[in-house]
Amino acid sequence: MGIKWILRTLACIPLLTTTTAWSAEVHGRSSTQFQWYNDIFTEKKVAEFGEYLNLSITKIDKDEKFTIQGYGRATQDVRNGEGLNGRLYYLYADYRDLYDKVDLRFGRQFINYAAGSALVDGGQIELKKVGPVAFSVMGGRNVFFDLNGEATRAHDFVFGAAAYLMGFQKTDAELSYFMKFDKDGIARDQLGASFKQYLFNSVKVYGNTRYDMPSETFSEVLAGVKYFPTADLVFTGEWYQSYPIFDSTSIYSVFAVNRYQEGVFRADYTLNDKISINAGYSKQDYGEGADADVFEVGCRIRPVEHIQLNLNYDRRSGYGGKLNGGIAEITYEPIKPLELATGIHFDVYERDRVTGEETARKYWAGAKYKLTQNMSASVRIEDDVNARFKSDWQGRAVFNYDF
Amino acid sequence: MKKLFFIVALLGCALVYLQQQSYADKIAHKEYAKMEIKECNACHKGEGIAPNHDTDFIRGHRVLASKAGNNCKQCHEQKWCLDCHQGGGTGDDLARENFGRDYKPKSHRSDFISLHPLKAQDNPQQCYRCHDAKAFCNSCHSRFPKGSLRIKSHLMLGESHQTTSWAIGEHSTEARRNLQSCQTCHPEGDVCIKCHSSGKTRPHPRGWKAGNLKDRSNGKVCQKCHLPGTY
Repeated sequence: MGIKWILRTLACIPLLTTTTAWSAEVHGRSSTQFQWYNDIFTEKKVAEFGEYLNLSITKIDKDEKFTIQGYGRATQDVRNGEGLNGRLYYLYADYRDLYDKVDLRFGRQFINYAAGSALVDGGQIELKKVGPVAFSVMGGRNVFFDLNGEATRAHDFVFGAAAYLMGFQKTDAELSYFMKFDKDGIARDQLGASFKQYLFNSVKVYGNTRYDMPSETFSEVLAGVKYFPTADLVFTGEWYQSYPIFDSTSIYSVFAVNRYQEGVFRADYTLNDKISINAGYSKQDYGEGADADVFEVGCRIRPVEHIQLNLNYDRRSGYGGKLNGGIAEITYEPIKPLELATGIHFDVYERDRVTGEETARKYWAGAKYKLTQNMSASVRIEDDVNARFKSDWQGRAVFNYDF
Repeated sequence: MKKLFFIVALLGCALVYLQQQSYADKIAHKEYAKMEIKECNACHKGEGIAPNHDTDFIRGHRVLASKAGNNCKQCHEQKWCLDCHQGGGTGDDLARENFGRDYKPKSHRSDFISLHPLKAQDNPQQCYRCHDAKAFCNSCHSRFPKGSLRIKSHLMLGESHQTTSWAIGEHSTEARRNLQSCQTCHPEGDVCIKCHSSGKTRPHPRGWKAGNLKDRSNGKVCQKCHLPGTY
């Protein structure tokens, strides 16, 4: 599927009105943007116009079971003459409740199973309401991107299947299988499982795992518990382990690797309408005596009705280096259609003892104005001051039209 | 025989129970989509369901978004997921920054190009949930001039600064802990094969299951180091 086809399709869609001749309804958002930024690849300043289009076509059939969903962008560089660039995030046709039991979805779509997830040019079929277990199968071309665009090659395909519990209010469980092909054969061959159980009106236990069949290893295991004595207070404790897993067709799949483990404890508390706070600690273990500690705290404060302040701070030390920094942001709505916001990111880090400490700062400010019920305009600018730039300005100006 | 009958009877009872329990569809959330999260939390608590759109959402939503019990689409389009997972963005959220043409998740703060080697240590698997290791990472890493990396295992040592520390053993420990980072610059592993090919230093883990990989890649991976018929 050529990029030109995608761009032509995207260009034509805004021509549709909200009510078309065949009574289907087209809704969505057209976002016309002007962006300027520093291209890390070419180290040139880029200025380009972009059209981001998100649409939903509904009421196509009498029973309103059939819909079409799409989202993509096209950009035109106006400074360096590098031409058109496009990306189709998704475009699929969705038919729900065929015979009240089958959901069909065909086209480019994001599919997530416990065993693996992928952006797929293909289809997904779900069979439900045939008992306590529902089933899903999916397959198609595996779509992935590099920095410039789509990097999918011939023979890149994925397939998967899942069985999951359906209709239980307090229990969720899934078993799934995921297979990925590339030009050299079967690249991934994985089983996955996911589980959630709510207990005693205040406890949730959950887990998630992936089993890599070629290496016969549980490549990821997560086990966690949440305790929520009130609606405003949640305690979380988790243990997680992983092994680096590579495509079976990669030379890296033959190497010995260490297990990574992580223990997390955190608390989230909403004191009242004005203040909510969170704090967490995680211990990371990389094997062979290497570990790290990460502390994080954050709060959201709404001192008066039209102002909100967000603060986040985290501190990491141990294997891999040190990091000490966070984000402060404030949003202010002086009048109903206008929103003003500004913020700073500040980090002091040391990647390796031999490289020394460095600082990264980002200052940003933005404004958004709602022109009418379905039109808004916004501007956001930022300046990066860091080890790579003394000053690097970039930003975006956006006009959004909801139809 | 009695045991088998007992197991089958037990399974049968369990299936009948599950059948009776099912069809009790979860509450539809579409009509609550515009409610304040605080109101959602109060209702969740009343039903014994943990609040789930808190400040831990980004880290913890993976289990919520799994197939079972997933009702994300009642309130969110796929756009909502993909703006973080694959890029995009229609400029609504002023706090969201861009990386070129696409939105950047909030976890990628300040100078993330400099910070990412550190941040990638916090659960090394999380990068690969959105980025393809070979296609995305290698786009940049392949452009580094040789010897320019400032990581310990690649720094030059010795009086004349001509000996790299990986040659004296640092690299093996580093590679076992984070082999995926090696792949970002050496996608085909050519530099590894120089020392780890057949008859040299053995790279395989204990309990190595060679047959599993051989079957899946038609032996192509094995033949990068071994002659056909010798593995």
